[in-house]
Amino acid sequence: MTTTRLIAWLDERVPIGAVIETLRHKRVPQHRYSMWYYFGGITLFLFVVQVVTGGLLLLYYRPSAGEAYESVQFIMTRVQFGWLVRSIHAWSANLMVAAAFGHLFSVLFFHAYRRPREITWVSGVLLLLLVLAFGFTGYLLPWNELSLLATSVGTDMAATVPGIGHFIVRFMRGGNTVTGATLTRLFGVHVAILPALATALLALHLFLIQQHGMSVPPSIEEEGRRSERPVASVPFFPDFALHDLFAWTVALAVLAGLAAFYPWELGLKADPFAPAPAGIRPEWYFLWVFQTLKYAPSSVLGLNGELFVVGTLGIGVALLIVLPFLVPDRPRARRILSWLAGVALGYMVLLTALALRASGGRVS
Amino acid sequence: MAAASDAAPGSGEPGRRTFLNWLLGLWAAGVAASILYPILQYLVPPDIPEAATQSADAGKASTLAPNSGRVIAFGSAPAIVIRTAAGEYRAFSAVCTHLSCTVQYRPDLQHIWCACHNGHYDLNGRNIAGPPPRPLEQYDVNLRDGEIIVSKRA
Amino acid sequence: MTTLVVLCATAATLVIQAPTAAGQSGARAAREAFRDDVHAAAGLDCAACHRQGGSAPAQIARTAIAQLCARCHSDAAYMKRFDPQVRVDQYAQYLTSTHGKRMATGETRVATCSDCHGAHGIHKTRDVRSPVAPVNVAQTCARCHADRGRMAAFGLEATPFRDWSGSVHAAALLKRGDLSAPTCSTCHGSHGATPPGVDEVANVCAQCHVREAELFRASPKKAIFDQMSLPECLACHSNHRIVHPTDAWVGLKEPGVCATCHDATTKGADTIVAVRGGLDNLSAAIDRAEAVLARAERAGMLVDDGQAALREARDHEIHSRVLVHAFAAGPFEDMARQGVRAAGDAQEVGEHALHELQVRRLGLLGATIVIVGFLVTLWFKIRRLGTSPRA
Repeated sequence: MTTTRLIAWLDERVPIGAVIETLRHKRVPQHRYSMWYYFGGITLFLFVVQVVTGGLLLLYYRPSAGEAYESVQFIMTRVQFGWLVRSIHAWSANLMVAAAFGHLFSVLFFHAYRRPREITWVSGVLLLLLVLAFGFTGYLLPWNELSLLATSVGTDMAATVPGIGHFIVRFMRGGNTVTGATLTRLFGVHVAILPALATALLALHLFLIQQHGMSVPPSIEEEGRRSERPVASVPFFPDFALHDLFAWTVALAVLAGLAAFYPWELGLKADPFAPAPAGIRPEWYFLWVFQTLKYAPSSVLGLNGELFVVGTLGIGVALLIVLPFLVPDRPRARRILSWLAGVALGYMVLLTALALRASGGRVS
Repeated sequence: MAAASDAAPGSGEPGRRTFLNWLLGLWAAGVAASILYPILQYLVPPDIPEAATQSADAGKASTLAPNSGRVIAFGSAPAIVIRTAAGEYRAFSAVCTHLSCTVQYRPDLQHIWCACHNGHYDLNGRNIAGPPPRPLEQYDVNLRDGEIIVSKRA
Repeated sequence: MTTLVVLCATAATLVIQAPTAAGQSGARAAREAFRDDVHAAAGLDCAACHRQGGSAPAQIARTAIAQLCARCHSDAAYMKRFDPQVRVDQYAQYLTSTHGKRMATGETRVATCSDCHGAHGIHKTRDVRSPVAPVNVAQTCARCHADRGRMAAFGLEATPFRDWSGSVHAAALLKRGDLSAPTCSTCHGSHGATPPGVDEVANVCAQCHVREAELFRASPKKAIFDQMSLPECLACHSNHRIVHPTDAWVGLKEPGVCATCHDATTKGADTIVAVRGGLDNLSAAIDRAEAVLARAERAGMLVDDGQAALREARDHEIHSRVLVHAFAAGPFEDMARQGVRAAGDAQEVGEHALHELQVRRLGLLGATIVIVGFLVTLWFKIRRLGTSPRA
């Protein structure tokens, strides 16, 4: 009874009554592909974990070349449970990238980008790019050997853009090479700029999902039409919410296990003047691009090979953003898209595997 | 099994349902505690408030008499704090530049000495006799609340 | 016709004047080399040493070379003009050396100034082109002292160079570039080159190994060794082929150097055994600590405090090994005990880290149990609510 009184008190002041009403009536379709609905929620959960652990790390981390490494070492050794917070932050970052890609591909394969969810799709792709940017900027912050080299290699790729390429590289690095200036700059991007953008996009993304509800795959819709029965569904609250909670708790357990059994290593402090050793690579989710660049011939169609790859990638990303506006909502078009998505996924997996094999299988 | 028992969730077994809710609440509290406990512990500042890489505490000034020295840990290598006969505080890296032995202060010689191969350094860290090829790196010394603080030069 | 006569006359003159064709080319080579000489840079010419100039200055007799050089190099007032701090006692030292003494009796097969410093392209000792630059000294001495035939004539072995080349000092000088490392002249002297006397050896080594020498001189061994005419440090460490001693050198059995004189029945046997035991104990403690720390680090734990304590333990180990030269148990045992304590601290840090790892895993187990309990109960709750779909 106190809950009702509390809600009534709040509702007088803040319009939560409307929100609760919508939530009460929200329903989630139940079919054999419903499992894939969890990916979005897991990504969100992992993002929240990142915000919490990131905020905690901020209390002890120092973003300067002279102190960054030592401050991370301090967190791992002197701060109570610092090892846990840091390892969870590192593992959750990787899991979030994987979940985000899982979410992207499941939306692609089940064609949830269709009208009226085009803006949801666009905000989602932009969020994926932000997640990758989070990963890229965050990776440098411990200021160890591997991260310095990975950042060098990563930012180098921008140099292939004609004309403004070198400016872009200087802009990203805060100078001509990766130095303490790069660290400070990427730190600011990682903890302020990207979170602000992500929050805005996330708010939009979540709002639109509440607006439109969960999309049903075309095949299920078709079955529903043919059997003249509406698609089965469960109420979001409490049924699906509890399922979500279940999945998130499992994710939390997995994270804790990874942090305890496979703590994230610190490595050696970065030395900007040391010569680069052989076999430097970016993080695993960039490996497929890295490997493609390695295979690129020096010249394609009269263009610099690397420029061709980066350009194709850029065009690919642009097409991905506007995908709903390019793909008509017809069975044949959808089938072709599914095929293309499958090929793309296969390509990314294959090249990642090749890159890992080339460097002995170490992931980080 | 479609619309069997979900029509009236509470029908017939309010006791079991309350028990289940109670049990769930208990476990949920446990999960919440296992998340909150580490976070709260994390927030408490550790005993050593910051990493001793740029500066280190070398003990109370009152315990370092004139014409004496003390070797302390500074980051991953030893440092030597000396107080000259005139009362001035100086600090250097205690790693001998010859073969990395730990140097010491010799009150009889009134300068720094390395026992390994008889290397001598003056009170400015300069190598004045024996095998050492280079001077000792000099550090800054400051006093804060009666404690000697050694820090690397900017 | 006239040209031909002139040419013939010139040729005849040249033939008469030039002693040999070889001598002429030797003179040319000398003139070439002299261009780079420090004496040339100081404004001196051939006539400064060779009274007679021309195309083939007279050879200087070997027995007269040192005196000739000393004409300037022992003249303090003269040398001050070129280098105010330069020493002028080289000739006096040479006369006290084995080389100098022999040369004075007319024996010309020993070294004199030009043999080591060169004759015409003389560079400063600091210049790496000089045959007596620290990195080159041993090679220069070896020109004679590694020649078995030459040395046999004086009843000497030709092994020192080969032996020294296998020593830690040679490795330090030639491989690490440590110019403070001793070469032939460091211990034997350069101008006053003579092997040190049997009771002076410790003084020589004491130039660098001051603590070991102090301890040795204060110990009973000094008097005993001098009495037995044992060459102090060399008795255990050898003179030229000086290698890294190991803890096993302290002992009553091979490779223990003590075994040369001591056996289990002699006085001091207990001390030897005690010292060796202490060394082995300390070494084992350090190895144990190192192993634990390595395990902890490999498991992802950071153990800097342990590494600092291990460094301290190693410092104590070095000091303990120096204290072996006290040839007494007391001071050695003190130091060794401190070392063992430091190693123990390091090991503790490592073990604490490994224990901490277990604690973390236990904590994780606990948290996992709670989470699984929650998940199981949640699953029941979900089932109870019924996941049956409705339109």
